[in-house]
Amino acid sequence: MAEDTVRLLPSDDGSWRLEDYLRRGGYGAARKALTSMTPKDVIAEVRKAGIRGRGGAGFPAGMKWAFVPPDVSGPKYLCVNADEGEPGTFKDRLILVRAPHQLLEGVIIASFAVGVRTAFVYVRGEYERLALRLEEAVAEARAAGYLGPRLFGTEFGLDVVVHHGAGAYICGEETALLESLEGRRGQPRVKPPFPATVGLFRSPTVVNNVETIANIPQILARGADWFLGRGLPKDSGTRLFGVSGAVRRPGVYELPMGTPLRTIIEVHAGGPPDGKRIKAVIPGGLSAPILKAEEIDVAMDFDSLAHIGSMLGSAGIVVIPDGTPMLDVLHVTARFYAHESCGKCTPCRIGTSWILKTIERLRREGGGPADFDLILRLADGIKARTLCPLGDAAALPILALVSKFRGELEQAVAR
Amino acid sequence: MSETKRVTLAIDGLKVEAAEGTNVIQAAEQAGIAIPHFCYHPALEIEGNCRMCLVEIQGLPKLELACSTVVREGMVVRTASDRVREARKDVLEFLLAEHPLDCPICDKAGECRLQDYYDLHGLSASRMVEPREHRDKLAPIGRGLVLDRERCVLCTRCVRFLRRVTGTGELGVFERGLRSEVGIQEGSPVDNNYSGNLVDICPVGAITSVDFRFKTRAWFLKRKPSVCPHCSRGCAVTVESVEGYPLRRSEKRVYRVTARENPAVNGFWICDVGRDGRHDIDDGRHAAVSEKGALVQGPSWESALAGVAAAMRSVPGPERAGKIAVVLNSRLTCEELALAKGLFVTGLGLGKIFFADRKSGPPDSLLLTSDRMPNAKGVLDAGFTARLPGLGELAGVEVLLVFGPYLLEHFGEADLARALSGVPSKYLFAAHTGPLDRLVDAVFPVAHPAEKTGTYVNIEGIRQSFARAVRPCPGVATEGAILTCLANSLGLSLGAADAR
Amino acid sequence: MTYAPSSAALKRIEDRIVLYPEKSAALVPVLRVIQEESGSVSREAMAWVAARLAISPLRVREVLSFYTMLRSEPAGKTVIQVCRNISCTLAGAGDVLRFITEKLGIGPGETTPDGAISLVTVECLGNCDHAPCLQVDGVDHGPATRETVAALLEELKAHG
Repeated sequence: MAEDTVRLLPSDDGSWRLEDYLRRGGYGAARKALTSMTPKDVIAEVRKAGIRGRGGAGFPAGMKWAFVPPDVSGPKYLCVNADEGEPGTFKDRLILVRAPHQLLEGVIIASFAVGVRTAFVYVRGEYERLALRLEEAVAEARAAGYLGPRLFGTEFGLDVVVHHGAGAYICGEETALLESLEGRRGQPRVKPPFPATVGLFRSPTVVNNVETIANIPQILARGADWFLGRGLPKDSGTRLFGVSGAVRRPGVYELPMGTPLRTIIEVHAGGPPDGKRIKAVIPGGLSAPILKAEEIDVAMDFDSLAHIGSMLGSAGIVVIPDGTPMLDVLHVTARFYAHESCGKCTPCRIGTSWILKTIERLRREGGGPADFDLILRLADGIKARTLCPLGDAAALPILALVSKFRGELEQAVAR
Repeated sequence: MSETKRVTLAIDGLKVEAAEGTNVIQAAEQAGIAIPHFCYHPALEIEGNCRMCLVEIQGLPKLELACSTVVREGMVVRTASDRVREARKDVLEFLLAEHPLDCPICDKAGECRLQDYYDLHGLSASRMVEPREHRDKLAPIGRGLVLDRERCVLCTRCVRFLRRVTGTGELGVFERGLRSEVGIQEGSPVDNNYSGNLVDICPVGAITSVDFRFKTRAWFLKRKPSVCPHCSRGCAVTVESVEGYPLRRSEKRVYRVTARENPAVNGFWICDVGRDGRHDIDDGRHAAVSEKGALVQGPSWESALAGVAAAMRSVPGPERAGKIAVVLNSRLTCEELALAKGLFVTGLGLGKIFFADRKSGPPDSLLLTSDRMPNAKGVLDAGFTARLPGLGELAGVEVLLVFGPYLLEHFGEADLARALSGVPSKYLFAAHTGPLDRLVDAVFPVAHPAEKTGTYVNIEGIRQSFARAVRPCPGVATEGAILTCLANSLGLSLGAADAR
Repeated sequence: MTYAPSSAALKRIEDRIVLYPEKSAALVPVLRVIQEESGSVSREAMAWVAARLAISPLRVREVLSFYTMLRSEPAGKTVIQVCRNISCTLAGAGDVLRFITEKLGIGPGETTPDGAISLVTVECLGNCDHAPCLQVDGVDHGPATRETVAALLEELKAHG
């Protein structure tokens, strides 16, 4: 097969403007969808392409769209999740900066498919400056008729609102995002009902990650088969892999799903700097259970990572070098989740802080095996018991860290 | 009326049939299985935050919340498996890790869900060695309510109650994570007529009432159902009193009145007027018969009433209709009203039968009615016309029987004194002391509705019978007993069984 | 003492409110506009927002107290945010923090006596390939070294 050089992400932000985007065929897919396809056709194509959510959960996007009842009266909403808060993840920001129009085109197509007339992009508060570019792109699109009452001469109209958060990782969870967008505390909702039936402002809503939506124009333009031609059968397309930590070339690398983790780290990101060796790797953002150095010969796709007890998550790869005290990693991890816990449900609200307090005590006063047994038990008490995935996101990495580095941790706190 | 589809499922091996839309907690309750929970309340929005009601549902990999899971045909639920018990123990241990060991000084002891569930799950000492968060333990939130933030388990029942039931929203949750805390906006405390329900629904001792704090222990309280007499809604209440130990004297003491569930009348709630009415049961009560302001030493009720009967007998038969007057009230039970009818109308043929009731007040949008008497409908049903007397109508009256102190709500003391001064024999039958006591010849202490057995008919025509919830003091009698006794003294048969 | 936003801020606020089918959805963005102008959101400002969006002041405070980027107490004129999450810790965020403390004499959570600079630690800023990361007034700085941080502090001192 000839090398496919089509890229999701431009290599820099020199061609983000509308005129540049148009020059490379931009908004052609949206035109095709709106003028020659039905919403059902679009959903079918996206389902066929099999694109899975690129936020972390990996839920097939087309299936999510199909859950919205097509014939219900009243508004429906699309929310693009640009709350990129998973530590080690910095890919969505590049889409916002380098390809805002591509994102908007994806929004148009998705909105058409689901029957949405107002789409929101929920941008994390820390990206407010970056979001200015998205707002400029929205203005450009409006001025040129790519957003507004009647797109491409059809009856379909769409407006896009760029909304900002204010510092809460939990707002990356879809129902917490909706609560936040409605002007409330960003606390997750009990499901059912699911957003597809009761979402934003009580209306059917689809929430999709930035990268997921940004893929849509190319899927429509080149076809589902093209998309399926890259990556793996159950995990199609390319993925934006972020690499940070102890590597020569930290950055975002667009590669097919299923690319081996070691290849991404050593070939693309240049491997650890001189004199350093890999001690451990977090493969999919801080919420993904850590892998020891000898475990990194794994394909980067949802199933392969799940198979070894970790997860692809946000594909944020963090390389931890030799010499890093794992107690530090454990501390950073526990502190993050305790800080970001929304406080709504018992196990997360109390458990994450209890774990953190224990670790802080261990650092101050030392301790023994019983303390790590306790941490494991607490993490077990959080796992699978919470209102939203933040519970597992806290528990699973902590369980992995303590189990896999038990000896080192005990030694570090022994007095 | 459309038929609700019924669904059959299995809970702990029991076959349960429940209406479509029922959640698993409710369905289990129908089968006699109690699923522990803190945040769930049938009248409030589902939050799913306590995680205590997690149960096993066959076919689903994770434990699921019983409160938010709706029954489905063929569902198989296990509420007591090891996995479920383990999950509950963990929730309890988490809660206890940030909950003060206040039981010895906490009013909720003995009726606290945290305590009860801890008991049921056989947990021993907490593994928590880290310092707990220290928070305000005495935050006043309005209406005599106090919030102890260390005890609060953030179930948010209080917040949800004020949002959904009263619509006043005085409580919210501030901060995030473990720093989360319930509170009011400064300057806007809880201020509505249903604030007392917050104490009822708080599953732990976080919200307590100054009226009840530190006064007794839940396990000393005798809880008896009754009907609130403070308006015509007739809310179901529980009167909670202590009798005997640990009281120093054997006098009844009512410590609180709480809401009792009645879907047909008041749902889950009662208003603060009814709740505060507990003071009415104990405070300012007459304890013994008095004549001309002085407590009568020695005589039995019968002999004191004999004097009343004698006064009535002294009026010649044909003149009775105009010369004997009776003022009744709408706090009398249906049974007492029947006795009154039998005695005064059928038996004596009296014409001057009046009613003096508490004045109306502003109703609210939930339960409190403007009519502040419990049995106006009962009065109508008994065939009476409730009419306040004009003071001029008391001219020429030789014997006046007044039931209840409410005449003074309608007439000035001076005017009433003048009108009564022209009545040779006047008797008052009232539960509470008041200025009217001085204006009559003898005062007979009567029972408070909580001390009676009888029936009220509420504003919607619902008949509610209640039994005596508190024992009256030795010197106190019910109006029913008084009427029966009078009838006997006058040689009249009332044809009905004695009112107790 | 009543609060009123400047006319520029008011325009931004009004332009924002009309974007949503329900006014109250504009709460967080509106609070950020007010904070940008005033440095924090005072009680009076909260009351103003509550009235403008037809919600209770309690709800405004509930929301304000939830989000890390919103504050009800004034901070320094400039807030230096230093990420303490995983990639930044690996890259030496601890050292950066120590250096800033050395230079300014304040620790995380504190403000310089002249009110010029506040130092806070934050979680992941989403800029991990430039670790260790700082964010100052919404602008990302990284990779931070002693040199770059010293230069940043100099610039802040010079321009106030």
